Amino acid sequence: MTSSPSDPELAVHPLQEFADAAAEAVGGEAEIQFDTIKLRVPADQWVNALTKARDNLDLVFFSWLSAIDWANDVEVGDTLNEETEERIELLCTVCDLTEGRRITFSTDLPNVKPSVASIVEVYVGANWHEREAAEMFGIEFEGHPDPGPLYLPESFLGNPLKKSYPLLSREVKPWPGTVDVEDMPEKPSTENPEA
Amino acid sequence: MVTDNDLTKHLSEAQVSVEIQTEDMTLNIGPQHPSTHGVLRLVARVNGERCFDVRPVIGYMHRGYEKLSEVRTYLQITALINRIDWVSGYANEIPFIVAAEKLMDVEVPERAQYIRLILTEMARISSHLIFMASYPLELGAATPLFFALRDRERVLDLLEGVTGGRFHPNFNRIGGVKPNAGAGPTTKKTPQDLPAGFLADTRDAMSVVLDTCEEIEDLVAGNEIFRARTKGLGVLPPEVAAAFGVSGPNLRASGVNFDLRKVEDYLPYDKFDFDVVVGENGDCWDRWWVRLQEIRESTKIIQQAIDGIPPSGPLQAKVPKLIKVPQGETYVRAENPKGEMGYYLVSDGGTGPYRLKIRSASFSNISILSWILEGVLVPDIIAIMGSLDFVLGDVDR
Repeated sequence: MTSSPSDPELAVHPLQEFADAAAEAVGGEAEIQFDTIKLRVPADQWVNALTKARDNLDLVFFSWLSAIDWANDVEVGDTLNEETEERIELLCTVCDLTEGRRITFSTDLPNVKPSVASIVEVYVGANWHEREAAEMFGIEFEGHPDPGPLYLPESFLGNPLKKSYPLLSREVKPWPGTVDVEDMPEKPSTENPEA
Repeated sequence: MVTDNDLTKHLSEAQVSVEIQTEDMTLNIGPQHPSTHGVLRLVARVNGERCFDVRPVIGYMHRGYEKLSEVRTYLQITALINRIDWVSGYANEIPFIVAAEKLMDVEVPERAQYIRLILTEMARISSHLIFMASYPLELGAATPLFFALRDRERVLDLLEGVTGGRFHPNFNRIGGVKPNAGAGPTTKKTPQDLPAGFLADTRDAMSVVLDTCEEIEDLVAGNEIFRARTKGLGVLPPEVAAAFGVSGPNLRASGVNFDLRKVEDYLPYDKFDFDVVVGENGDCWDRWWVRLQEIRESTKIIQQAIDGIPPSGPLQAKVPKLIKVPQGETYVRAENPKGEMGYYLVSDGGTGPYRLKIRSASFSNISILSWILEGVLVPDIIAIMGSLDFVLGDVDR
């Protein structure tokens, strides 16, 4: 695993040079977290940045596009450790087909009525991914050639992957098993005898 | 009473009307259709024997794993993600577990890494053998199915011997693999290890699989019908494949020398000598041929791994009993039998992910259908669709 150099302060990450070059070529801020380069760009530069990534950085392979709902009122899942600004973070990973270098582009959209230009013109494979993100997070992709739900039926209401959308099966019937692992009775551990 | 004369007249009129009025017809294939490998629906506009505007309709099996992952613990999620691509369930676990280990900064013991690698390659062989069975069947040849499934069963038996499951092993744990791997009489003496004789059996099975590859090649590759139905059909240029995100054997068949086993470090593939199989034309034949060769390369990797596996050692790194993954984000991807499978894991420090984006190979691989099926003959729909080797669980997640 290259992710854990013994002294992270001193060691320069092997991807740092590429990340800096990419940030300069595309415009934006690069950040390396656990071997993943994340390049933040403003929302109005979204299409422009990905076009440059394809043409100038040779990142021709479209891997995926999706989003994260950063919300404070988390109803399902875990509580956040710290307050975050409520926003939708749109992510798109593209990579090259020689050395396998990849960049995850990121842009912030408002939590209410998020909207961004479609990148289907740049990467045709984004078509289905954008439709999925649209129905799951309520993001509007302007200029998408074939908008409409992908997985969900036409009549479906709501955006299931938003944190404010309840997981109905969990609401109706609680999880039948032990929810918190810490409550398990003390037994001689078979998982890890040395621990 | 219709006389012969009338009939001839009618027939000749009918002939004329057929020639003048050709109408487009909408043809629906699926959701239940043997060649869709699950529940995929295609809506095509058919003019004569040619089809246009093919529109895949998916979502019949959408189970919402990304949402479910947000309320599950890390241990529970491996059980879920086995069921994404159920033909190679074991391989699905690896990138997710490696992503969590990356955030936790856990070093996996070498022996556990080797076991993971051997089992992943076994999953690849069993997945490709399913393709070797089903693809000729879809083109009308039933015999290769018996050869391929016979040996797939052999491989699955070995996989089951170690993990306890044929399809859904749920075998990886953060920091290693499930302890007491080979539950059986030998467990008490040598806890936490492989079943007795596993490595020797695997070596035997690999030579049998190689023989079967010969048999399948003899049976299928020289078959005139198979060649006629696959060569030059469904050609996928590399730049189109890349823009659509088509990955794995489908991408390599188009002549792109790109294999995540060579460029990512999720398992110690750099210690082994194997070739990346690359096709030439990107047609259905190449996609079949690349998969056949990949079975051979996988047996090569497994043989080397059996030679190199540390004879003893821990299978599990020290991890806390209650798994809490520190805050952070990472994307880990792996070369699955179907293509690039990756997980974008966002942790907020809790016992489960804050967000888990699942990038599955078949989803991107079949998004190409409307492009690649434009203007092909109706019977070729099945030939092209089958050659892409997708699984609907991997499409719908």
